[in-house]
Amino acid sequence: MSGATLSDEQYKKQVRAVYVATGYLTIITIAEVVLALTMHGKISSFALTTFFTLLTFWKAYYILGEFMHIKYEKRTLVLSLGLPLVLLIWMLIAYIHDGAALFKAMFDFLNFG
Amino acid sequence: MSEALEISENSAIEQHLNWPTPDNGEGGEPSPIGVSYGKSMMWYFLLSDAFTFTAFLAACLAIRASSPWWPNANDVFNSIPLLEGVKAPMGFVTIMTSILILSSVFIVRAVQEGHRMNKKGVAIWLVGGIIGGILFLGCQALEWTHLIHEGMRPFFNPFVLDAQGVLHVAQSAMNPDTGMREIITNSNNQFIDMHGVAHSFGEGINQSGGPKTFGALFFGITGFHGFHVFTGICLNILLLVKTLSGAFERRGHYEMVEKIGLYWHFVDLVWIFVFLVFYLL
Repeated sequence: MSGATLSDEQYKKQVRAVYVATGYLTIITIAEVVLALTMHGKISSFALTTFFTLLTFWKAYYILGEFMHIKYEKRTLVLSLGLPLVLLIWMLIAYIHDGAALFKAMFDFLNFG
Repeated sequence: MSEALEISENSAIEQHLNWPTPDNGEGGEPSPIGVSYGKSMMWYFLLSDAFTFTAFLAACLAIRASSPWWPNANDVFNSIPLLEGVKAPMGFVTIMTSILILSSVFIVRAVQEGHRMNKKGVAIWLVGGIIGGILFLGCQALEWTHLIHEGMRPFFNPFVLDAQGVLHVAQSAMNPDTGMREIITNSNNQFIDMHGVAHSFGEGINQSGGPKTFGALFFGITGFHGFHVFTGICLNILLLVKTLSGAFERRGHYEMVEKIGLYWHFVDLVWIFVFLVFYLL
């Protein structure tokens, strides 16, 4: 990014940080797949969904933070991206709630699900 | 911020970190958010793309929430191409996810080599990223082919439950009278699975198949994502050509690699969420 290149030490540190993040991503993915294969009958689907969502957001943190460098960017940039995303989460929850309400309206009288 | 590089505002090369203004032709003014104009615009484009993908995934989740039942991912996605008869639930998609994450790692390494103005390093890691992307698209194509072969279409779903609640892939064909795809039923109104065994339909299920929007959602979202992977590969190839021709050495910085790298990581990020919605939940 500048005419002056990175010092050897900084470079090694950065490379290591990326490989550490990769390690985390691999482990979390394996955990997710193992959970998905073994736990489908055994714990409530709400608990499974929560696990998967949290693990996925953990992975997203590593990709955004290390690979896309957000951990090292200015606060202003991070907030200008993060605040609209809060609206996005709101929209997501609203739509899923809508779907559940639709299910109730269409099928609940049949004692389905 | 200790990892941030020293920015010298007066150097000609650092000019690109300043934002252009109409009044200040040469050099512009310091960026209000710490990154160059081009990079910030890539970030905001990715934000808008995130909205699009989230809208699609929200639609998928809302439709699932309103549906009496939904095919279980472990039962739908359980084969590996070229290994007939091997039951490996989630196996192939795990391989795909690893390929994409690895290609993302290679692109990060390319960006880091760019910070050291190491042309050869950038080129090598870019090649790795491109190959990873092509492999991922190839895997996605195999997955699509397999599902289409099983009868899945945008508005037809051959995955049905039998009377015991077990998921099967029912054989299906185009009905010449209605012009729509239907599950083939025998004289006992049973469906036949891919191994030729007949089963009775589960409650509320008939020859029109499972939830109708399963295919549209799957092909639409993975297809839209695959389109992003494809454009990412094209951009990376362009980047490789420019790197090898020395364009960035002349420019004095490899920031273009960072910008395209951001796009590629976004594609990886979206895949993580597509993986969550379609294969885990």
